[in-house]
Amino acid sequence: MKCKEIESRLIDFIDRNLDDRSFKETEDHLEQCTGCREALEEFKTIFCAIDNAYQEVSDPQLRADFEKMLEREKELVPNQEFPSFYSKERNSRRPFLQLAASIALILMSYFFGKYQDQEEHTQEVADLEKEKTELKTEMTISMIENGSASKRLQAVSYAGEFQEPGDEILQALTGKMFNDEHVNVRLAAAEALMRFSDSQEVRKTLIEALEKEQDPSMQIELIHMLVEIKEKRAVPVMKALLQKESTASYVKEQLNISLEMLI
Amino acid sequence: MESLTDEELMILVANGNIDMARHLFDRYHVRIYNYLLGMTKNREVSRDITQEVFYKLIKYRGSYGKTRFSSWIYTIARNLCNDHFQNLKNKDYSWDEVEFRAGKPDSNTIEQKENTEQLNRALNMLNKQERELILMSRFQKMRYQEIAEITGLSIAAVKTRIHRAMHKLRTYYFQNIEL
Repeated sequence: MKCKEIESRLIDFIDRNLDDRSFKETEDHLEQCTGCREALEEFKTIFCAIDNAYQEVSDPQLRADFEKMLEREKELVPNQEFPSFYSKERNSRRPFLQLAASIALILMSYFFGKYQDQEEHTQEVADLEKEKTELKTEMTISMIENGSASKRLQAVSYAGEFQEPGDEILQALTGKMFNDEHVNVRLAAAEALMRFSDSQEVRKTLIEALEKEQDPSMQIELIHMLVEIKEKRAVPVMKALLQKESTASYVKEQLNISLEMLI
Repeated sequence: MESLTDEELMILVANGNIDMARHLFDRYHVRIYNYLLGMTKNREVSRDITQEVFYKLIKYRGSYGKTRFSSWIYTIARNLCNDHFQNLKNKDYSWDEVEFRAGKPDSNTIEQKENTEQLNRALNMLNKQERELILMSRFQKMRYQEIAEITGLSIAAVKTRIHRAMHKLRTYYFQNIEL
């Protein structure tokens, strides 16, 4: 083994970046070669000097300037949005909804064509709309109560698509959020409800759900949602959850972050 | 907040919670400042650029992608540092006029102080790129991968250049001692 080659390995040798064979080779060579040993010592001296080199500590002026700058920037963002890991993106249109829309469109075209000559056709269309909504509501609710979890999941997501859901829908969703045996259905129900978070009732049920929920992943999602809708009334519930011994540690971490955002 | 990674904090900042930038400042400002001090040898300039780095972090928070945060912030620092050197060149400053002040606090032993001075002299004999690579790799303890991300070089190139620069540094360091 040539000294030149060994010398090129010395840094990796000190850093322990060599594979076992190369390490052993280098070690063996160093035992016999004074020149390479000297080179090794020289590198060690330099690394030692580097490690002892003075690193300047924080300058108070730097922090003060930073704080000033931060305040200035915060003023530029008056409506500070609360960040969330919870995605706002909705899933692409569901085939189920597309089908329902197509049928509704055909029915509407038919009735519209039939009545368009009559003066009161506006009223008819309105009635039809109402009927359609009622039908949709009924269908959704019956599906929500379905035995298959995937059907329930579909129905719950579908319920979230209502523009102005009736009380039945909200009640059905709330029931699912509290009681469904599958966490995915509970989660979908919560997500659907979150779209109607303008309603005080809905906000209250979301807080209540967090209070009752035992599943950590669902707890985290609910926390995200409550932060997203900036629901300050959730603070006591969150604090209580934080105190609870049974709460998972990562849920507690999330709670700490979220509480900071809410308060 | 301690449990959040740099990347998570930066995502929060990017989403508008700019108070979170304070935690990133706590974690990084001393390191960035010392890196700049190593490059510029001037406290005032280093302070200004450090300040500018965090200003850019907030200003351009929206452009933060899914990159390693440390690489991102060092890239900002490095670009600003390069701008600074570019300005110096345009203003016809000579290198010698750049104040050399980085050194050890008085509390250290005379021997250590001498070693640091020795090291600084040797570092100053390297060119800018060599010094930068040694600062990142040995002083800031960055991995080759990270340095490659910041400098835009391949990992192999980073490794070769750092080794070459270290061998040069060793020569200069011990040359000086003999003088």
